Amino acid sequence: MTSTLKGITLKGSVEVVADFFSFGINSILYQRGIYPPESFTRVSQYDMNLQVTDDPKLKDYLNSVVSQLKAWLLDCTVQKLVLVITCLETNEVLERWQFDIECDKSAKECSAPREKSIKAIQNDIRSVLRQITATVTFLPLLETPCGFNLLVYTDKDLEIPEKWEESSPHIISQSEEVRLRSFTTSIHKVTSMVAYKKTDSL
Amino acid sequence: MDSEENTTVFSTLKSFNSFIGCPATSSSTSGSTLQSQYKRNMDWLEAAEKVQSYSRYLQLDQEKKQMELSHKRVRVELEKSANDSACNLKLLEGKNSDMSARTKKLEEREKEALRNLSERVEANRELSKNLESLGKKVEERDARLSASNQTIICLKDEIRDLKQKLQNQDSILSNKKLEKQEVQEQLDLQRRKYQEMSQLCQSLQAAQSTCSEHVMKIKELERRLALQEQDAAIVRTIKSEATRVPDLEKEVKRLRGENLFLRDNRENCSLLKEEVEGLKRKLERTAKAKEDLVNMELEKERLTEKIRAWENLGQSTGLNIRKPEDLSREVIQIQQREITLQEENYTLNSRLRNMERSLSELRAQMSQQHGKTLEEQKKREGQSVLLDRLQRRFLLLTKERDGMRAILESYDSELAPAEHSPQLSRRLKEAEEMLLKTQALNTEMEAQLTKVQDETGTLKMQLQTLEFELESLRKQQAAPDDVCSVSKEEVNMLRQKIEDLEAERQRLEREKEILEMRLERHNLQGDYDPVKTQVLHLKMNPTSVGKQERQQEIESLRQEAEHLRDVVRKLQEGGHSQLDAILHSAELSLPPPKEVLDLQKQIESSELRNQRLKEVFQKKIQEFRTVCYILTGYQIDIPIENQYRLTSVYAEHMEDWLVFQKGSNGNMQLMETAFTKTLDELVNLHLHHQNSIPVFISAVTLELYSRQTTV
Repeated sequence: MTSTLKGITLKGSVEVVADFFSFGINSILYQRGIYPPESFTRVSQYDMNLQVTDDPKLKDYLNSVVSQLKAWLLDCTVQKLVLVITCLETNEVLERWQFDIECDKSAKECSAPREKSIKAIQNDIRSVLRQITATVTFLPLLETPCGFNLLVYTDKDLEIPEKWEESSPHIISQSEEVRLRSFTTSIHKVTSMVAYKKTDSL
Repeated sequence: MDSEENTTVFSTLKSFNSFIGCPATSSSTSGSTLQSQYKRNMDWLEAAEKVQSYSRYLQLDQEKKQMELSHKRVRVELEKSANDSACNLKLLEGKNSDMSARTKKLEEREKEALRNLSERVEANRELSKNLESLGKKVEERDARLSASNQTIICLKDEIRDLKQKLQNQDSILSNKKLEKQEVQEQLDLQRRKYQEMSQLCQSLQAAQSTCSEHVMKIKELERRLALQEQDAAIVRTIKSEATRVPDLEKEVKRLRGENLFLRDNRENCSLLKEEVEGLKRKLERTAKAKEDLVNMELEKERLTEKIRAWENLGQSTGLNIRKPEDLSREVIQIQQREITLQEENYTLNSRLRNMERSLSELRAQMSQQHGKTLEEQKKREGQSVLLDRLQRRFLLLTKERDGMRAILESYDSELAPAEHSPQLSRRLKEAEEMLLKTQALNTEMEAQLTKVQDETGTLKMQLQTLEFELESLRKQQAAPDDVCSVSKEEVNMLRQKIEDLEAERQRLEREKEILEMRLERHNLQGDYDPVKTQVLHLKMNPTSVGKQERQQEIESLRQEAEHLRDVVRKLQEGGHSQLDAILHSAELSLPPPKEVLDLQKQIESSELRNQRLKEVFQKKIQEFRTVCYILTGYQIDIPIENQYRLTSVYAEHMEDWLVFQKGSNGNMQLMETAFTKTLDELVNLHLHHQNSIPVFISAVTLELYSRQTTV
């Protein structure tokens, strides 16, 4: 629906960002092998082939997180979304994919659509996703069984919804950080970065 | 009548001809004769004509009569024919009715026949369909029969194989039996040996028991010996100690004395310590007192000096001072003088400031006036420009007006043709609109121009005021030196301050960069400000679920490990004899190994296959038996091994059967039954004489059939 309009509204921007997160998280889970590759199906999005999970429990979890995230994006109260990969045996954090969200609050008051072509946004998203796929080359292998978790950094005074709770930021000790590309819809700007635990075998 | 008429005609004709002939002879006469001849000719012609007409009339009359006759004849014939036709018609009508009745009957018969035909056709079709289905069934039966034949062949092959295997197994079994016998013999031997060995073992055990008893006795004795040795050692030590006892007693006494001495010493020590502490305190006090003394002496010296100074003041200042009152008086005088001087100072300062203020005011006024003059100048210029513009505008307007007037006059002059007036008025309107537009544009441009000019004027004014201030500042700078030096000092101080601040700024910038980098690093790592941000996650997230599952797995594995350890312990304690009991009690639920699973699967599949084969065989055999029964007319049963009982389809009673026995050499023999007694002749003929069982059976069939049909 936003592809037919020239400009982009707050709602449209929220949808674009939520879709990016949904596909991005699925891609990361597939690339890092958190779930077996046969539980993913290939879909076409942003003019490229992406892998999306079939596992119903995982789908439910992602949908609930993304729907809540959309509500927070509309209010411009969310600051970061973090995907944390933890080793299940030793309970230590191995990888941390962090997406910073900067929201232009003036879009909440003024509801006129902004001049930003959907094609340009999709191009940027495509380059970000390609870069995520390329990061697999230098990230250390995950040999132990791992689980993942999604953390959301929001404003302090925000009311915590029913199924959510406060958690620690799960910061990696002795980490290497790499900053990845960013994209902006002129209302929301999303910057990506990945932090991974330094391996001693070098 | 006709003939009479004809004869008259002929006679007249004859006379005519003779008449005509006569005159031929008398032609010599002259002209009167010619006239008479002519007259005669004319008379003859007329007579001929009359004759002709009369003959024609007669002819016609004859014809008429003939016609009437014919008419009558015809009428009679017609009446006859009509009668005949009427009779025919009646006959025909009768025939027609008969025929119609017949046709109706025939139609009814035809309809019936058609109905029958359709019914027959339908019956035919059904029969054909039945035939087709039956044909198909027959084909299927044929196919099944062939298949069953094939399976029978396969089964026969299998049976042969199985028989061979059976034979092999039998041979193996016999071999095994032989082996078993051998083994049994060996076993007997071994048993005997075992008994001997057991006896030997028993004897050995007895010997061992005695040995163990001896060994135990030996151990006991050794133990006693060791105890005794220990006792001896103890005794020795006690002896040695006993020898040492008096020395110890002496030492004890000595120590007691020392003890008392030390106790006394201790008390003395404590007393001494108290004394020491008292002395220390005294010492401190004395030290403090010394310091105080020293300070006091210093103060005393200072005060004495002061007093001396005070005493010498009078001499140093030259005033008449002997006593402090004089000093105070002097001081008061001096203070008063000071006060007066300060007042004068203040008044002078105030006057100076007033002067400065008036000066600055004057300067400001001067600048204002300057500015005003500039404004006036500018206004004048603006006015002049406006004037020029207005003049130009006026000229333009006059020109326009002249032009418009000329146009109007031209239009008025051309106003005679009425068609042009609307066009002209329209053109006029357009021209007026254009004019208004251009005027509006003009005014806008002029307004913009005035704005720009105003801005430039203001800027010029500001520039000039700034220049004026600069000049005044420069003049101020060129003023008195003491002000300049002070300002120079101030300037230097300010410059230094600026440098310091600049250096501090750079340092702070560097620190800021470092902090920003650190902040960036922390941001990348995921740090956050707890005051502004909170971190949330879903309670049921995959990591927690995975951890829970892992915990549960670990728990279950631990429990299983414990259980297995118990089982192993029991096994180790129990030994082989109780192996089964322990395992059973342990209730191990080990998953069976892969081979067992595979074999189980194979067994299941083979059982299933066997089941299916049995079903198929059953079906095929049943089919075959029914087909045999249908085709041959005999149901063949096997009541006992090698005995075959045939029951005919045409048998009169249920018990009418033929029993054939298969001999050991393979040929079939008919057994005696109640039914065969009734078939003696056939038996004799076909079996004894012809020695053919199929012929006999077919004869029996025919006999029974004939019996059935006749009955």
